[in-house]
Amino acid sequence: MNCSNFDWKAYVLGETLASERPELESHLAACAACREEVARLGAVMAALAALPQAEPPRRLAFVSDKIFAPGFWGRLWNSAPRLGFASAALVAAAILVHAFTRPAPAPPPSPPAVQLSEQRIQAEVARRMEALLDEKLRQMEARQSRRTAELVAAAAARLERRHQAQLLAVEENLNLLRKRWGVLYTASAELGGTR
Amino acid sequence: MIFREVEDPDLVARAGKGDVDAFNVLVSRWEKRIFNYLFRLVGDREAALDLSQEVFLKAYLGLGKLQDGSRFAPWLFRIAHNEAFSLLRRRRFDPGPETEPEPDHSAAALLPVELSLAVEQALARLSPEQREAVLLKIFQGFKFEEMAQVLSCPVSTVKSRLYAALDLLKESLAPINARGAQ
Repeated sequence: MNCSNFDWKAYVLGETLASERPELESHLAACAACREEVARLGAVMAALAALPQAEPPRRLAFVSDKIFAPGFWGRLWNSAPRLGFASAALVAAAILVHAFTRPAPAPPPSPPAVQLSEQRIQAEVARRMEALLDEKLRQMEARQSRRTAELVAAAAARLERRHQAQLLAVEENLNLLRKRWGVLYTASAELGGTR
Repeated sequence: MIFREVEDPDLVARAGKGDVDAFNVLVSRWEKRIFNYLFRLVGDREAALDLSQEVFLKAYLGLGKLQDGSRFAPWLFRIAHNEAFSLLRRRRFDPGPETEPEPDHSAAALLPVELSLAVEQALARLSPEQREAVLLKIFQGFKFEEMAQVLSCPVSTVKSRLYAALDLLKESLAPINARGAQ
């Protein structure tokens, strides 16, 4: 049978039917090229299997953990309904502000005095609205600055971690080179000594 | 022999009826495997941890849809697959500074540095689909049919991805294997 008819990858991966194995194994015993292919695949499998499992940096939260529920609601808050909720809250706030700052119905005519008090009320409303807006703007700016500072700090921390990781890698490679140099040096000294 | 008091299908059935402790046991059993699958796939430890959390949250919320408790593992990995590729798609459109693969120094410390780095680099050179096929088959031990369920594709596609990955790995790791044989 032609070598190309044998699926050596399935064989190495343990996906061959038990009934097919005797034929594959008898061919393997007789064919050096197929033996070499299986050996190469086996070496790849061994190299992959030797890579150890990474440890999670932290334990995952259980559904019974307190942190789980806020996380879930937080996710909801960050999803599409967030915009709708924020808009509704804004409209409600606007209605409340309007209700509290609207002037009370004026008493029946006494023209000059009414005009004067209306002007005063309008001026007061405008002043309060302006103050309210200023206050909101200040709060927004403060929030924005805090967020920017947090982002900058997080980016700096990430950079630092990456830098440390690179340093560690360089150090490991240097150690490896040092060891190799030592082995070579010893070997060459031994060779020199025997000659 | 490893003795398990309660098998996964029993835990799945109990968790499906609202037994939170049963689901917690499932999380303990599977968190490391799910984390490793995601970590090797997305190449970022923190992102893999966030995705793992998301996977178990979605599994908990969707447990009622799982009819057959014995299919828990492929079903869980299907959720993980969706989460990982959703992140990889987002990264394709918005590649940030976090996208470069992070070397796993804890793994490197446990193996000869050279081999460990070579294997990680060889895996990183595969396409995400090929890498995922290797992770599911060699690291997680799924059968071809189970992989097809996880990836929602025919067995022939699973095999072609895995075989292409093995050919590339054979090429990438050949110098290392040759030196090891000397």
